[in-house]
Formats: sequence, C-alpha cells, structure tokens
Amino acid sequence: MRHCISIIILLLVMSAGITPGYSLASGSQQSPEESSIQQPSPAKAGGTPPATSKKPNDAVKDDYADDQNFDYDDPFAEAKVTIADPIEPLNRISYLINDKLYYWAVKPVATVYKWIVPEPARISVKQFYFNVKFPIRFINCLLQTDFSGAGVEFGRFSINTIWGIGGLFDPASGGEIKLAKQDTDFGQTLGMYGVGHGFYILWPVLGPSSPRDSVDIAGEYFLDPLSYFGPWYTGIGIRPFKIINNASLVIGEYESLQEAALDPYVAIRDAYAQYRAKAIKARKARSLIFKDYDGGDSPAVPSTVKE
Amino acid sequence: MIKKITICSLLIMLIFCVPVYAGAPMTAVEATVNRVLDVLRDPKLKDPSAKKIKAEKLRVIYKDMFDEMEFSKRTLQRNWTKFTPDQRKEFVDLFEQVLEKAYLDKILDYSNAKIVFHKETMASDDKAEIQSKIVTSSKEIPIFYRMSLKDGKWKVYDVVVENVSLVQNYRTQFNDILASGTPEKLLESLRKKVNTQ
Repeated sequence: MRHCISIIILLLVMSAGITPGYSLASGSQQSPEESSIQQPSPAKAGGTPPATSKKPNDAVKDDYADDQNFDYDDPFAEAKVTIADPIEPLNRISYLINDKLYYWAVKPVATVYKWIVPEPARISVKQFYFNVKFPIRFINCLLQTDFSGAGVEFGRFSINTIWGIGGLFDPASGGEIKLAKQDTDFGQTLGMYGVGHGFYILWPVLGPSSPRDSVDIAGEYFLDPLSYFGPWYTGIGIRPFKIINNASLVIGEYESLQEAALDPYVAIRDAYAQYRAKAIKARKARSLIFKDYDGGDSPAVPSTVKE
Repeated sequence: MIKKITICSLLIMLIFCVPVYAGAPMTAVEATVNRVLDVLRDPKLKDPSAKKIKAEKLRVIYKDMFDEMEFSKRTLQRNWTKFTPDQRKEFVDLFEQVLEKAYLDKILDYSNAKIVFHKETMASDDKAEIQSKIVTSSKEIPIFYRMSLKDGKWKVYDVVVENVSLVQNYRTQFNDILASGTPEKLLESLRKKVNTQ
C-alpha cells in the first residue's frame, strides 16, 4: 500500500515535469523530497520552474499588442544582403521593356515551341548550351582556387560530351558518377576577391546585374565557344533560340512572381541580391584560399548538423 | 521492498522521459508536407471542380504549419511599432491572403513532384533549419524551412526558396513602401493586391 502511494506521488511529479507552466501553477506545494526527485529530469522537459510560471489568465497573450521583447534575430539569416539602386528610374524603364518583351514576344513564341517540341528534347537543348559554356566554369573554378571543382567540371565536360552525345544528355550527374554542376561565373570570382556589387543594373533583355556581374557579359562573349561558330551573326541567331528554349521550361514562373509581389521590381532586385550573396558564400566554402576570408558578414555558426 | 520501489520508479522515469521532447523539427515538417501531398494526390479530389475543397483542406494544414504572426512581425521588423493594433490585425490578415492566393496555384502544380528532406541544422534548442528539395523532371528546387519551437510545437517562420528568403524579400518590398509612406499606404497596396489577385 505504501509503495503504491509513493508511485502515485512519483507519477504526479513526473507528469508535472512534462507539462510545464500552467499545470504546475495550480498544483500543490512540493515537499522537499519531491523536488529532490524531480532534479534528475532533463531541463528541456521541466520548462519554467513553478515559482516563475505564468498564471492562467496571463497565458492569453495579446498577439497584436506592442511587443518590445520580440526576438527578431534569425540565426540563419545573412547579416546584410542589400543592393544600392541609384539609377532606379532607368532600371524601372528596363523593367517595363523586359516585361513587355516577355509577354509580347518570349512567352507566345515559347508557348508554341513548347507545344511542338517534347520536354525531354527541350531539356537536352538546355543541357547542350550549358555544356558548351564549360570553359567559363572551368576557368572560374581555377581563379577561385577551387581545384576539385575545376576537376569535377573537366570530368563532367568530358563525360557529357562523349557519352552524352555532345552534351545533349547529362550522364555525369546521374547513376554512379554523381558529379555535381559547378555553376559559377566571373561575377562570383570577383565577389570572392572582395569586389562589391556596386549598384543594381537591370539590363534590357539580359536582366538583373551590377557593374561587377556585368563583367560576365564580356567574359561570356569571349569564352562561350558559340561566339566562334561561323560568322558573327550566327551568334545572334543562336542566342534568341537559347532564350526561347530555356523560357519554355519555366513558363509561369515570372507570372507567379508577379502574382506574389507587391512591387515585382523590388522583389526581383532583392531576390537577385540574396541569390548572388548566397552563391558567392557557397563558392567561398569550396575555395582553398578564400575559405576563411569573409569581411565579417558570416552568420552565426550552427551548433548541430544532422544529415 | 526498497529495491522494488527504486526499480519501479526508475522504470516509470524511463517511460515518461521519452515523449517529453516536442519532436524533431524535421519530422514535424516532413509530416506536414506529406499531409499536403495526400490532399494534392487524393483521387477523390482530382476533378478541377474540387479545387475549392482542396484549398480549404490545405488552409487547415497551412495554419498548423506556419506561424503567420511571427511571419508578419519578421517582415515588418521595427516598423511593427508604427502600426496601431487595428492596423496590425488587418496587416496580418491581408498578408496571409496575398500569400495564400499567390502560392496555392503553385502548390497545386507540384502534385507529381518528389520531395526529399535531407538536412536538419539546429542553431539553438528552439531554432532549426530544415533543407529539402522538390525534384521534377527538368529541375531541382531547394526549399529550406526555418522553424522555431513555440509552446511545444515546431512552426515555420520563414521559407527560403532557391536561396531567396521569403521574409527578407517581403521585408525589402515593405521597407520600400514604408520609407516614403505611412502604414496606411502599405495596407492600401495590400488591399489592392488581394482584390486583383
């Protein structure tokens, strides 16, 4: 009988430890032995100790009231990802041009093209163009002192060109080989060297950029092998086809961005700034020299990682 | 006798220690996403006319998964104090409608996609980031859920799609409007958005 009672007391103590706060507030006073039994229960389970627990009527918190103690800290957020926009009026004009270009030209053509050409073929065309731009990725991996990345790119290019029939397929990503794309460019290399964005430029046709990232427009022209195929005007013929093909795979994405945004121009600008910042950070992590070089803008180090 | 009691109490302690922790955030978000997929793939709701029922079912799950209060406060940050309590209420309500309308069609598109959860990072006991990706025939879209533990439940306070944080993206847009305008102006543009969506 006596040990029945002690088990019941124990049960009560344990359950009090599980549901923190309010259940304890109405509970009876604890005897010294009971609290000594409670000690071994883990701190996470205990929650707030009975002395400081809230009274039930305090528990109904007014969510809309002034909240000075609100914790805005986000341990995962980047410290500062913004981009200056001193030429906003000009950029907004480009935005209007691109918007019209998309709705009046790219989208209708891409929709017809999508209807004629099956998806696997369109994916192959995209992969072909991606594969051809291998020199840009290879050279930038080297400039970023990411030698394993350069090796991976070299391997991908050889495998996909030979077994992927000139890059139409991507056997290097699948199966047993699993070589991940190293999608990098000159803008990222410069960013890693410490060159800032400067300011936001929205190019007509070419899209979001900055003085730094615009280096890629020149870089791509000289390193993209497509520039050397035949006379200069073939390039002009090839590039729109590339735009249409790639657009056919993402029809609807621009529309849903506009649907979700209050000001699509600002939404795209911010997305571009965030995207580039993260890409450069990810490239830095792979670099031999620049790994630890980050002008003090690294986020809080996560404590545990489970993969 | 004393030995028996000690063994009994030890056993009881062991039994009660197990369900104490609120449950890993990854399990929480994975379970919710699976609930969403169940609704999307429900053969009874395949008909286009059942879209409304689907949306209704998804809303219940969404409310359970997201912490819209935290979402709103994080996008407004210090500007939250510039709003009167009534304006705050309207803001949270309108913002939720904008998000729902914008992303519902998007979610319905991904009925046949494969979703992989691959990483969980704990920044502290009550903050976690879950990394997942949507895999379709033509692409992989990385989606990270940032979660916090509130009243014993893991709730999402930010979604990062292809490295772009939704909270930050809206924060930049709201800041842009609030830099030159009043809270009323922001509410006005939200109202307009909801009506045109």
